[in-house]
Amino acid sequence: MGSDRVRLNVGGKPFVTSRTTLANAGRGSMLAAMIDENWDLVSELVSEEIFIDRNPSYFSVLLDLLRTGELHIPSGMSEKALYREAEFYGITDRVRHARKGPLDGNRLECVASISGRATGDGTAIRASPDGGCCVAHGSMVHVYNWAMEEQIPLTLDYVNVNDVGFLNPNCVVICTCERGDRAGGMASFNVTSGKLVHKFQVCHDDQLKNFTAGALASSDVHLYASCRGRSYEYGIGTWDQATGQQINFLYETPGRPLGDACKLQWLPQSNLLLVATLFPRSDHSFVSLLDFRTKGKVWSWTDSCQRKSADEKIVMDAVAMEECSTVCVVNQFDNLGFIDMRNSSHPVRWSHRYRSARVSECEERCYSKLAVSGSQLFSSKNDSVYVFCSPDWDAARGVQTARLRKTEGGGAISDISVGGDSLFVLHNEINVFDVWETPGSSGIAEVL
Amino acid sequence: MSQAKKKNFKIEPFKHKVEMDPKYAEKTWKILEDAIHEIYNHNASGLSFEELYRNAYNMVLHKYGEKLYSGLVNTMTQHMREIARTVEAAQGGLFLEELNSKWCEHNKSLQMIRDILMYMDRTYVNNFNKTPVHELGLNLWRDNIVRSPRIRDRLLHTLLDLVHRERTGEVINRGLMRNITKMLVDLGPTVYQEDFERPFLDAASDFYRVESQQFVETCDCADYLRKAEKRLNEEIDRVTHYLDAKSEPKITAVVEKEVIGNRMKLLVEMENSGLVSMLIDDKYDDLGRMYNMFHRVSTGLQTIRDLMTAHLRDTGRQLVLDPERLKDPVEFVQRLLDEKDKYDKIIQLSFGNDKTFQNALNSSFEYFINLNVRSPEFISLFVDDKLRKGLKGVSEEDVESVLDKVMMLFRYLQEKDVFEKYYKQHLAKRLLSGRTVSDDAERSLIVKLKTECGYQFTSKLEGMFTDMKTSRDTMQGFNATLAGSETNEGPTLAVQVLTTGSWPTQSGARCNLPTEILSMCDKFKQYYLSTHTGRRLTWQTNMGTADLKATFGNGNKHELNVSTYQMCILCLFNKADRLMYREIEQATDIPASDLQRSLQSLACVKGKNVLRKEPMSKDISEDDVFLVNDKFSSKFYKVKISTVVAQKESEPEKQETRQKVEEDRKPQIEAAIVRIMKARRLLDHNNIISEVTKQLQARFLPNPAVIKKRIESLIEREFLERDSVDRKLYRYLA
Repeated sequence: MGSDRVRLNVGGKPFVTSRTTLANAGRGSMLAAMIDENWDLVSELVSEEIFIDRNPSYFSVLLDLLRTGELHIPSGMSEKALYREAEFYGITDRVRHARKGPLDGNRLECVASISGRATGDGTAIRASPDGGCCVAHGSMVHVYNWAMEEQIPLTLDYVNVNDVGFLNPNCVVICTCERGDRAGGMASFNVTSGKLVHKFQVCHDDQLKNFTAGALASSDVHLYASCRGRSYEYGIGTWDQATGQQINFLYETPGRPLGDACKLQWLPQSNLLLVATLFPRSDHSFVSLLDFRTKGKVWSWTDSCQRKSADEKIVMDAVAMEECSTVCVVNQFDNLGFIDMRNSSHPVRWSHRYRSARVSECEERCYSKLAVSGSQLFSSKNDSVYVFCSPDWDAARGVQTARLRKTEGGGAISDISVGGDSLFVLHNEINVFDVWETPGSSGIAEVL
Repeated sequence: MSQAKKKNFKIEPFKHKVEMDPKYAEKTWKILEDAIHEIYNHNASGLSFEELYRNAYNMVLHKYGEKLYSGLVNTMTQHMREIARTVEAAQGGLFLEELNSKWCEHNKSLQMIRDILMYMDRTYVNNFNKTPVHELGLNLWRDNIVRSPRIRDRLLHTLLDLVHRERTGEVINRGLMRNITKMLVDLGPTVYQEDFERPFLDAASDFYRVESQQFVETCDCADYLRKAEKRLNEEIDRVTHYLDAKSEPKITAVVEKEVIGNRMKLLVEMENSGLVSMLIDDKYDDLGRMYNMFHRVSTGLQTIRDLMTAHLRDTGRQLVLDPERLKDPVEFVQRLLDEKDKYDKIIQLSFGNDKTFQNALNSSFEYFINLNVRSPEFISLFVDDKLRKGLKGVSEEDVESVLDKVMMLFRYLQEKDVFEKYYKQHLAKRLLSGRTVSDDAERSLIVKLKTECGYQFTSKLEGMFTDMKTSRDTMQGFNATLAGSETNEGPTLAVQVLTTGSWPTQSGARCNLPTEILSMCDKFKQYYLSTHTGRRLTWQTNMGTADLKATFGNGNKHELNVSTYQMCILCLFNKADRLMYREIEQATDIPASDLQRSLQSLACVKGKNVLRKEPMSKDISEDDVFLVNDKFSSKFYKVKISTVVAQKESEPEKQETRQKVEEDRKPQIEAAIVRIMKARRLLDHNNIISEVTKQLQARFLPNPAVIKKRIESLIEREFLERDSVDRKLYRYLA
């Protein structure tokens, strides 16, 4: 038969490969479609070569990827151009998977440091599900795709951005302060076109309200945000991602913590929303888990009843580790603490293993930020990120297993974010963020 | 260059787009459009995929995505309209075939178009929230073909007609049907549901409404169920062959509603073939089918259960209240057990051991067994019969199974204390006369009673067994001292020492024993009291037996096994030949009724009449004269003279037992009241009644009037008092 052999001519250079290799590209790719029996190309014209009008040097790298599953970029070749070619052949996913493996805090490598245009003081960094990210900076949001190409910057009409998040790789939601003329609030934008997709509104007593959107979280279909109106509208709003319609609003009277929440986290396994209102937004810390099916709190923790003293521990960030049924918190001295989510009598178990030397007061201080991936906990301190690995059932028994620090540094870390198999670290002094990834399948010894 | 000229340069805004050939987009689109036409005309072999893909890629890259997309929509719509026309033109049976073949072609074409426009799908469609090419192709097919006014109704009609023809026995092209329904499913679940499934269900509903009416008029119940089952299986089969799997619960629901749900009452109540006749005739298969079919509708099993319960209670009532049956208690209980076995088997074989049916069966039995107040006595008599002789030579498992069945009946009894009373009497008789067949069986039953009713229920029964054992030991010791002391000339004595309270003793039953016996008795008494100080022995002569060696006038020697009373009477005849009734009565001092009964069995039983009576008659009167029957003969050396015992209790005895039971219940009720009041302190009348009933129902069902009397008695004795304000409230006085 010999029909497995395929002769290609790419930009004048002949290639001979097999149908099996091309089929490796997957049904959604141009290469696999080209040899599909619908097109009757190969079976009739075995001897004839198929011409493809593209640059052969990139093709040879990509063909090698299809043959071996490994990506080797020759020195001097532009990564961006290679990605563009991959996009033409429809094998971007293959390239991405070859380039990086599933996130493992112990094997991370810093693959890029991206400098922004302005000076320091970025507000937040958020990872996108496909490995891109966005940085909120004053009233601007800079979006980077998975190849770290900057997209159209989103300018929010001079209102401050509080939080951002990706609904999907093509769509970001931005939470801003209100400005009084129905501007501000919350909206989603297409990252490639920069166009507004939905404006999310809060309606109470059949009246549209001006509101400041604080923290943000999203489930598969819904979007949640803490909202603070001008007069007595405090709470957590829920919207439908597809239509942008408000579904629900959990109101609370002023002085109650929900509307002031500075961190929301959706827990997909238990269908709960973690809501944390922390210093400096409020004097006391409140962490609770909301169930939107019953519209009530199923679990909550607060330090408001504790006695105030000089060296009192103030919770600065909180994150839930769903796999360990634990809420992890960090205080102003960078001590980690763990609270059990399964019962309601829950003191914080503080861990003292990781006590920092006191930072001098003059130095600008960034408090610890937390992020979670599975049973791995990431905690920033000064200019490093520490990785803690814990057994699946008890985060408090975790041990520190890695410290991530880029040698030249960018000063203290102001925010970290995990997503799309990448860890993003935003520095405070210089406007630069680092991308940490686990190296791809190529050249990694199998772990028994 | 001069400076002036430089100034002439106009500064223009920077242009992002370098103007290309203005007709570039038109030209490229033309190539792609032609290719789409060729694809639809099955002429794709001349096309270069790479070229087409590159063209589409370039159009999107150069921001002509919008043009490409709208062009695609227009071209495809055009083709859809064309296809619609050819499908419409197809005649009769060819209609579906044409639609199907066009659908297959469309799918293939769509696949190829999607391949060409893959880059647009990935980028433009994604960024501008458009419908992806494949979905777009399906939507256009749906709107222009499946839902075009001239095809929609015709398609539905054709499909429903085919299904109807298959239901009436014709063979249809299932493969074609499957392809068409699959097309509807592929076009989206709503298309399948709205354009086909809903009318299909309506049609099925109509069809089965008419058909089930016909069946009801022409078939009997079993036949109807068989047909219904067949229809149901056909519909399930239909779904697996050419409908969407999600339709199965819907179509079966329709069949269930029309064929079973709406005809349920009619079916179970069918004359001569309904549920009752199936139950009577043990039609396991038919019953099983009925259960399975009725199980499918919400109130189906309820219907079966209600009717079965009604029938059971009816037959049960007849059974337990039939005066004929009351004559033989063993037969009576056996009939109950047979009835239970019958229904157990039906429930096991036909009703899948359904718990609700078992409960219905149990409640029915409980209902009618307690209709007859003599049930406890009869059950005890049944056990007595089994343990006396019925279990001889029966394997251990069979014994267990009989006992288990008895326990099951026992569970139905409300007056368990009455059973206990009778059981104690019967057990005592068995033990004392040494008539129990198997000690193991006896003990096993007691263990069962214990697990059922608790320790208190059986402690006295167990005491009886202990007494029997200690008595054996005592006798060994006694005989040993006798053998040691003097030559053993007198009669052998076997004594059973019974603890007062454990045994159902009747006090006051005494008699004058013969002197030989009396001396032995005294010796035993001395022996016993010497080992157990501080005890009192009384002789229960009414319960003993004796073996006598008798030599009759004709020289025949026999060993007679008689009761103690009979022994006393017979010993009188050692000294006299002829005795008047009154003389016997005086000499023995046996209570009149027992004496009469003993004499009756000695003189009136044919073949075993050791005595003769003058005049000869069945009954004993006070003027009768008794003589030794010298002509007595028997095949056996040993002769057992049984006392004429009424096995069943006579009416006055029954009353007496009843009274005793009522008497025994009083302290139990009082104890319960005091226990409850001690815990609750203050309680109203109705609550006390209900709590007492609840506490005692394991043993018996207390009568509220009796409870009230007990409360009054407790008030009199100052355990309780009435509340001074609310007279309905009782207060506990510590």
